[in-house]
Amino acid sequence: MARKRGRGMAACWYGIARTAAVDRAGAWAEIDDGGSAKIITGVTEIGEGILTVLAQIAAHEMGVKPEHVVIGDNDTGRSPEAAHAGASRQTYMIGNVVALASREARKRLVEVMADVWDVEVETIRTGNGEIWAENTNHRISMGEAVTFAKGRGVVPVGSATFGTDTTGLDPVDGSGNPWQAYVFGCQVAEVEVDTVTGEVQVLGVWAAHDVGRAVNPQGVEGQIEGGIVQALGQALMEDYELKDGHTSTSGFAKYILPTSLDVPRVNSIIIEDPDPIGPLGVKGIGEPAMVPTIPAVMNAIYDAVGVRIFDLPATPEKVLMAIRAKEREAAE
Amino acid sequence: MVDLRLEATVNGRKISRTAKPHQRLLDFIRDDLNLTGNKEGCGAGECGTCSVFVDGVLMKSCLLPVAKAQGAQIDTIESLAKTGELSVLQKAFHKAGASQCGYCIPGMVMAATAALRINPFADREEIKERLGGNICRCTGYQKIFDAVELARDVQNGRLPATALLETDTEDGEVIGKNVRRIDAPSKVSGKLKYAGDMTMPGMLHVQVLRSPHAHARIVSIDVSAAEAMDGIEGVVTSADVPGQDGFGVFVHDQPVMARGKVRYVGEAVAAVAAEDAMTAKRALAAIKVVYAPLAPVFDAEEAMRPGAPVVHDYAPDNITKHIPIRVGDVEKGFAESDLVLEETYSTQAIEHAYLEPEAGLSYVDPDGVVVVVSPSQNITHHRHMLARIIAKPISKVRFIMSPVGGGFGGKEDMIYQGMLALLAMKTQRPVRLVFTREESIISTAKRHPSRTTLRMGLMRDGRIRALDMRMVCDGGAYGLSTEGVMRKAAILAAGPYVIPNVKVDTYGIYTNNTPSGAFRSFGALQTAFATESHLDIAAERLGLDPFQIRRINAMRDGATTHTKAKLGTVSLTRALDAAEKASGWEAGSPTMRGGTRGDLAHDDVRPAVSLGARFAADGKGGKQEAAE
Amino acid sequence: MLICDEYLTPASLTEAFAAMAQHRGRYRVVAGCTDTLPWAREGRAGDVNIPALIDITKIPELNELRIDERRVRLGAATPIQRFLDDAALGHALPATPRCAVWFADDQIRAQATIGGNIVNASPAADITPCLAAHDATLELASLQGGKIVKRTMPLGEFLTGPGKTQLADGELLTAVECDALPGYGGSFEKVGHRRSLVISVVCLAVLVKLDAEGRKFDDVRLAIAGIRPIPRRLREIEDFLRSKTLTGALLEEAADLPLDLVQSRTRQEYRRDVVRGFLMRGLISAAKRAGAHPDGLTTAMEAAYG
Repeated sequence: MARKRGRGMAACWYGIARTAAVDRAGAWAEIDDGGSAKIITGVTEIGEGILTVLAQIAAHEMGVKPEHVVIGDNDTGRSPEAAHAGASRQTYMIGNVVALASREARKRLVEVMADVWDVEVETIRTGNGEIWAENTNHRISMGEAVTFAKGRGVVPVGSATFGTDTTGLDPVDGSGNPWQAYVFGCQVAEVEVDTVTGEVQVLGVWAAHDVGRAVNPQGVEGQIEGGIVQALGQALMEDYELKDGHTSTSGFAKYILPTSLDVPRVNSIIIEDPDPIGPLGVKGIGEPAMVPTIPAVMNAIYDAVGVRIFDLPATPEKVLMAIRAKEREAAE
Repeated sequence: MVDLRLEATVNGRKISRTAKPHQRLLDFIRDDLNLTGNKEGCGAGECGTCSVFVDGVLMKSCLLPVAKAQGAQIDTIESLAKTGELSVLQKAFHKAGASQCGYCIPGMVMAATAALRINPFADREEIKERLGGNICRCTGYQKIFDAVELARDVQNGRLPATALLETDTEDGEVIGKNVRRIDAPSKVSGKLKYAGDMTMPGMLHVQVLRSPHAHARIVSIDVSAAEAMDGIEGVVTSADVPGQDGFGVFVHDQPVMARGKVRYVGEAVAAVAAEDAMTAKRALAAIKVVYAPLAPVFDAEEAMRPGAPVVHDYAPDNITKHIPIRVGDVEKGFAESDLVLEETYSTQAIEHAYLEPEAGLSYVDPDGVVVVVSPSQNITHHRHMLARIIAKPISKVRFIMSPVGGGFGGKEDMIYQGMLALLAMKTQRPVRLVFTREESIISTAKRHPSRTTLRMGLMRDGRIRALDMRMVCDGGAYGLSTEGVMRKAAILAAGPYVIPNVKVDTYGIYTNNTPSGAFRSFGALQTAFATESHLDIAAERLGLDPFQIRRINAMRDGATTHTKAKLGTVSLTRALDAAEKASGWEAGSPTMRGGTRGDLAHDDVRPAVSLGARFAADGKGGKQEAAE
Repeated sequence: MLICDEYLTPASLTEAFAAMAQHRGRYRVVAGCTDTLPWAREGRAGDVNIPALIDITKIPELNELRIDERRVRLGAATPIQRFLDDAALGHALPATPRCAVWFADDQIRAQATIGGNIVNASPAADITPCLAAHDATLELASLQGGKIVKRTMPLGEFLTGPGKTQLADGELLTAVECDALPGYGGSFEKVGHRRSLVISVVCLAVLVKLDAEGRKFDDVRLAIAGIRPIPRRLREIEDFLRSKTLTGALLEEAADLPLDLVQSRTRQEYRRDVVRGFLMRGLISAAKRAGAHPDGLTTAMEAAYG
């Protein structure tokens, strides 16, 4: 058989948010006229979908609809610090702080309505753009509630900060508490190796990842799928080459990336082991999604053709030459 | 120069304009017509962000001299939702979550539009083939294929139009639901403005002079001829830095522009602001830099040896950072082990290859605040560093994060924002810099290339007794995120496994190569490649299934990590169980099983051979008889 | 970037030659521009200033397509995509659709021309081996004494090395003529480092004609590229196979003929290995498309190399 299939797997773990350093984020929230919501925090999309996640979280916490949440720009002159967009920290750090700020804004509004309706604060519920008191006929839109609040001189705003309880590492033995949230994952890859050309096609990947709590499962899948394909690029083809400090791969004709015809079908399995510390139970997924892919693919190549690649990338040439070396060895 | 008179129809409107003979169609539609929906990702036809229709045929507008559009009908991404209502395909991209950073998406939507025009019944394999000229770095393409299939089925009446709408959440609960991305409409329509799409009145264009040497002393820089040129408003070098010149995520070892010496090919040496980019480029050629080459070092292991060329005076051993982890006594652990395995693994340098090359604007606002607008992943830290560099209070420095067309860690470094601020201050005019793809690749950080020696001792029953890992990473010319990468790599190196004796050393080393920096998964990718490959080698030797050997060693709830941190719940075995079950894994030792496996998948994998899918299609949703 | 003072789009050959005469020594003829523009970038030629660019794609004669029973005539400005879109063309030149689908991507194929691919003379060009297998001859035109003079030359003679051809100063490639080979089975094998927008490390064009029963080779044509300065017809193997009965053993023997084909400086051992495998794979799939009888082309053979 010219084309041989095989499977491999690998596991991973990862820490969420800044490593071995205290992390922090701040946010402001306001339930605005008409029952819409404003969130101001130093965050901007880098593509992972954080704006949508924050809109969902704010909507959930305040009881408005996600499409009625407006998120302010990330601007050091205009918004509170939420620190950087990286370290798989956005949903964890900024999602949690937006939840806390939203809760405070909601509390202001709820207190007004409890007073207006003369009910206990605890009986008040919000959701889907409405506010109501349990076991009563009191039910109005969030917009109407904001009007009540403003009539009483209250603007329903909230602010919050969220930080991590972490430490640096000991310089001698490395001991320390680098993160307060950890995630774990496992991937299985199925490959086909063409023994005429040495090409490896990754046909399928099953990826099981703990994300704490998936705010937007489609977004989590997007992170997993994208992470796997980036790792696949490193596994099989990408190589920034330097000779005496000069690169020979300064454009996309030479620095080659996976195309639509090079990618596997990805089957994501989302595991939810809630974080006990943050208010939402969320953790993160951006980076861990690509950690197990390369060894899973290399283990699958081994399963398929019995050769192990120790130096990346596993180019067709490298794979085919390894297969031939193994055949020669077997013949001797 | 003989200007062209261009008569064409653009998005249904007749235009008659003069154009420069060397302009590309992409320049014309973006710069002259201000249609910035289609992007420039590579300028060489290799990415597809610029795909437009020319007389109904999709083409890459970066490869088309504008003269080729004479008399043609040009349709850009803006043509698809002219009335404000998104096309079915655009709605499908929104619904399927097919856009992430969004930079490739206008081109991708155009390619998908073309695919379904050519074959309204194209199957997934044919769709993939027809999107083969458009690169996406974020999504892994899955949701894009999903979106095109969804649009196809809606267009063909196989699915109702409501399939494109938000799934209603009856109970009002929105957490855990696939709420459509709120930024998607602006991305699928091309309306979102990235930094390179923004202009300001009176804006100048910036070009950067870069080092041709890997390691050289700068004897002199003479910018007088450049400054004297018509159209040149300002030239800056390190001499223009008023404050403490240094940036970096952990150690501030990198000057805004080379100071005293250059340490890698492509390092910024001077920057010019001019009325247009061509003039700025010409001025670069007029800057005279005298270099005295120094002995370079290109290999991390060599750089660690005594007597190697020193890249930074503060680090005479060229070690940017060493992170040790120590648990127990590894030598004792190896002595107790039944099996000791040692291998060396290496990984290459990787480019982030976000589709949006670096770009940014800077201006001084009426209150004297220096403002930088750029796709930065860390404006908080950039503000701190820039304030020190330009010697202003933090309140007089403002960073605005523009939409990021892919980051992956590569836009955490303040690699160009300092030059922009200096030029805005010097010229007192808005300035903009847009990198070419080549500039982006040669001058910005890479994933750390690594060489890892891993020794593992195991008991016959599969328990890991000891692990000793030494990883040496080429950090390149500047520190950037190297320290953090070495730290994360070290902490996670031994994997989520209970191991009584652990010794890990990670080293980030200065060389005269392109700097390495932050890259999604931050060192963990390199160490996991070694550890997880090694576990399979061990499993084969011990006759264990790969899942089994990991379960034997897996950290469980309450485990203590290799940094002696106490964990709460540990979801590792849940993840192992889930992946094993979902893939239908057939247990067995990782010997070469290949075709003898009983678990090779059909439905959850794609077909293996994916080129020529169109030959099998008849264009009516059926298959041709001659299909193979 | 590519800078020019003038971009000319002649509407006829006469106009083109006039422009070339006018800008003698300071022009470059361009067609699809899919190689010219990326060439004038950092890391390759850098900024390039060419006073006049003369774009020949609007000349009607260079866009002609004529197919008759024996020959196919393609204007030099024919875009590569036409091999895929024009069923009659694909039928007459059976290896070309298989080749074209591997060529860059759908969009670049719509712009890139066969003439450009030939004149660029890249060792990794995909279309040239394919055309070589179809016995392509080129029509070259020049202006002599005010008259347009044409000469013809086999493709194999025209290409002399990487980036080097016999195109004379002031001469234009106007058309390509190929053998029409309907009924042949065609295949194109290619390997690079990915599956779209991919540069060939090895590529092989195969054409096979079998007898009525699908048992005997009536004709075989093979051309290989990516492994040497210019594509090469494998006439030794073609001659060896012609008139013989298709069997696995025969193909193995053919693939093992001692030809030292690989002249690349890099990846020699790899390329040698792939060439042998491609010969087997390409002959098997072309024979299958040519209607091979199952006695000769067994499923075991297909699985072993397919």
